[in-house]
Amino acid sequence: MSHLFEHNGAKGQGYSQPAPVLPASEISLPSGLSRKELPRWPRLSEPEMVRHYTWLSKRNFGIDTGFYPLGSCTMKHNPRVNEVIAQIPGIADIHPHQPEHHLQGLLAIYYEMQYMLEVCAGMDQVTLQPVAGAQGEFTAVRCIQEYFRLRGEDQRTKVIVPDSAHGTNPASAAMCGFEIVEIPSRVDGRIDLDALRAVADDTIAVMMITNPNTLGLFEEDILEASAIIHGVGGQMYYDGANFNAILGITSPGLMGFDAVHFNLHKTFSQPHGGGGPGSGPIGVKSHLADFLPGPLVAQRAPEGDEVETAIDGHWYSWFQPTHSIGKVQQWHGNAGAVIRCWAYYRRYGRGLRTMSEHAVLNANYLRHAIHKATKEAGVDSLVVDGAEAKVAKHEFTLSLAPAKEAHGISAMDVAKGLLDMGYMAPTVYFPLVVPECMMVEPTETESKDTLDTFATHFAEVLQVDAETLHAAPITTPVRRVDEVYAARNLCLRHPYDDA
Amino acid sequence: MVDQLPNLGREAEMLAAMGMTSIEELFADIPSEVRMKGDLPLPPPQSEEEILSDARRLLGSNVALGERVSFLGAGLYRNYVPAAVFQLVTRGEFLTAYTPYQPEVSQGMLQAMWEFQTLISELVGLPIANLSLYDGSTAAAEALTCSVRVHTRKATQKDTVYVSELTPPDRLSVMENYCQGAEIKIKLLRHLDDGTLDMDSVSDAIGSCGVYVEQPNPLGLLDGGVTQLKEILGEHTALIVGVQPVSLGLVEAPGHYGADIVVGEGQPLGSPITGGGPIYGIFACSKPYLRLMPGRIVGRSIDVDGKTAYCLTLSTREQHIRRHRATSNICTNETLIALMGAMHMALLGPEGLYDLAVRNMTACIMGKQKIATIDGINMPHSNGEHFNEFAIELPGLTEDCLEYLDSVGIVGGFNLASWYPNRTNWMLVTFTDQTQVHHIDLLVKHLSEWTSTLEVAA
Repeated sequence: MSHLFEHNGAKGQGYSQPAPVLPASEISLPSGLSRKELPRWPRLSEPEMVRHYTWLSKRNFGIDTGFYPLGSCTMKHNPRVNEVIAQIPGIADIHPHQPEHHLQGLLAIYYEMQYMLEVCAGMDQVTLQPVAGAQGEFTAVRCIQEYFRLRGEDQRTKVIVPDSAHGTNPASAAMCGFEIVEIPSRVDGRIDLDALRAVADDTIAVMMITNPNTLGLFEEDILEASAIIHGVGGQMYYDGANFNAILGITSPGLMGFDAVHFNLHKTFSQPHGGGGPGSGPIGVKSHLADFLPGPLVAQRAPEGDEVETAIDGHWYSWFQPTHSIGKVQQWHGNAGAVIRCWAYYRRYGRGLRTMSEHAVLNANYLRHAIHKATKEAGVDSLVVDGAEAKVAKHEFTLSLAPAKEAHGISAMDVAKGLLDMGYMAPTVYFPLVVPECMMVEPTETESKDTLDTFATHFAEVLQVDAETLHAAPITTPVRRVDEVYAARNLCLRHPYDDA
Repeated sequence: MVDQLPNLGREAEMLAAMGMTSIEELFADIPSEVRMKGDLPLPPPQSEEEILSDARRLLGSNVALGERVSFLGAGLYRNYVPAAVFQLVTRGEFLTAYTPYQPEVSQGMLQAMWEFQTLISELVGLPIANLSLYDGSTAAAEALTCSVRVHTRKATQKDTVYVSELTPPDRLSVMENYCQGAEIKIKLLRHLDDGTLDMDSVSDAIGSCGVYVEQPNPLGLLDGGVTQLKEILGEHTALIVGVQPVSLGLVEAPGHYGADIVVGEGQPLGSPITGGGPIYGIFACSKPYLRLMPGRIVGRSIDVDGKTAYCLTLSTREQHIRRHRATSNICTNETLIALMGAMHMALLGPEGLYDLAVRNMTACIMGKQKIATIDGINMPHSNGEHFNEFAIELPGLTEDCLEYLDSVGIVGGFNLASWYPNRTNWMLVTFTDQTQVHHIDLLVKHLSEWTSTLEVAA
């Protein structure tokens, strides 16, 4: 069977269920509302269904399958106990509208996560409601927008975004109604302070930036950039996509930021699930705290009946910030993801710094190992660093521009060659400031041996002739997919026989 | 933490290879002014066993709905998710994959999502579905902004959308946040006393960009009037219908009565309620909306050998390409939960969906029949047909009633005063496929008891 819709068992034999509490004949529907034809779903028995999805899973590559050095994505190992914890009925089977005294355990964990993220980021208040990084960006920019509205600073209609920023930054700010001012980066992707000064005035509401930047380099001038923006009355926003590099070492608060989002699914290992779910809490300094989406969790001493059931002597309750922007997700965010990330953080506790140290150690070691291996193989002239820097942070960039020039081998060719070696390819063609860019992020959960072997294989790919690489991959479930064909011959669902 | 860090103890060796002697050298580029002083004020690291035991203690103190008799729904519906779904979705190849940007090694998830798009498309009666938004509220909000992008040029009520006045405030708040940036005005559609849409109010929406209603509505009422909306509104106003997907085993697919966009909380298909997330938002639409819709879409294509292959398509709508001109900022979505939805739908099949819808609806009918026997409790919309839930009017404060039910181990319904502040004695009671006859009998017994104590007091 090549797809689900080829399974068509006997009609009328759906998944077996208990009998309804009343016969279906008791049902009447308003006129015109009775469904005339059931959806043309397939009919599978459980063994067929299990085999179908097992077959599909074997055609998919995850961290569990092999090394996944996908820059900007922080593809670290997902501890299995977190999945066990997420299935406990006290999280899987709770409703956000239950009264507080039914949810003290959830609220205690929310409170602990708010606190943990606050101290790691140097912020005063965290909300766990946003469910993805991009939604966190949107939420924080909305809070800043309302902050300025309340202050009567309606002339602040612009948001500054470096040209090397993640695409979600300008998209999120634009969704709030801001005009985007894109400033050029220096060749190493770092902020161009002159370009920043040139656009900084009292029409600026926010500057959005990530540090380390998208080339994996720390912005040494970050305090100066913050001073420029604060000098014109604007706010500094920290894109936490690269937070894995700095936990316990520095913080957005120390760098002068007013607001930050966290990608819990990166830094704290909520599994990516092939594209989601995520969790994108935000933290803000006290002047923005009143604008956060509610409810947030507060802790107090238990009173009366509460004493008996209070957790570790504390009672937890929801509260609404005074000038809250309202909600960005109808419930309490991705609670199941928050719980997994709580379990992850507990493994490290105050030792989170060690996690970041190892992320940076592995990235620098891999950069070194790749240069060493390519040199030993005599192909070091084909690949250069994406940016000059003595040290990178949690990720680094390479440029395959010399390989392209010498042999017509592109970053994409090398990426596809790596797929044939059994790896997920690094991110390619981002950031745009690096020609033929390959962005590599090993994370802290890969062993030295894996990194050494990858470096050797990377050098081997560079020794392959261009014609062979153009044809790669050849060992994968399918070979290069024609994306132009997909866009020109749109087939977005099984066509049945409609044609 | 040792078990998560393979290179603990090998730092010196790795640093030496790079000509370094300390980890600190790797952070030499971080200025001292921004360095954190001292350790993070957090507890010490824990082992897996300690974390699991603490998780069991903390989460064990929550009241899981399965431990009680529960009638709480109001947008999230407890259901049975087949065991195979959990077993398969935690396969590492699915669980630990990133977004399928390298299609050659992501065919499994890409195909599963293409199949998901087909399952949703068939379910709601529209040709196009994306592979999920965050939840029902963000799907509804994105549908509103999408309707404005598509229609505002020809609209006589520019940048204006209409939304049912019954829409829960938390959902409406999400819509307002998503709409304010584009300066979209949200106006309310009225309902009549019997709970159905006021058709006079609907005619006010003619010439606007979009109209959002739910079927069943937020009070569980099935409204036949919704099938006439498209005819009233015409082709230049998007009809957006929010659905409880399980209901579509009995109730006509909105695409078959003219809906242009269908959204909804996908949760009842495939996912436990999980405190409200992660769940997944359904978004499906007709062809005119395709190029301005939010979210990722998978297309079927071919590889260089002409073999069937799948890949993400129409990406030029998305933020990583279009940046501030993207149709939405969404990047990470709810793919894995949508995959659970696909697995559940695949197991159910058409007749299984019908059976599931019948179980949900008949539980609700039995609830209505039995609660109707209690003196002192009224049903504001008793003449209508309901799916999953209906409102009841109590002889006292809902707050007090819920407290009483809690004291006898019942998670009552939802206090409608938190949606509609003057309805302090309205409660929304919910019945699903998990509701059993003895649950309903227990609810009726205690509702009667509570009601009679009020009478005595009076």
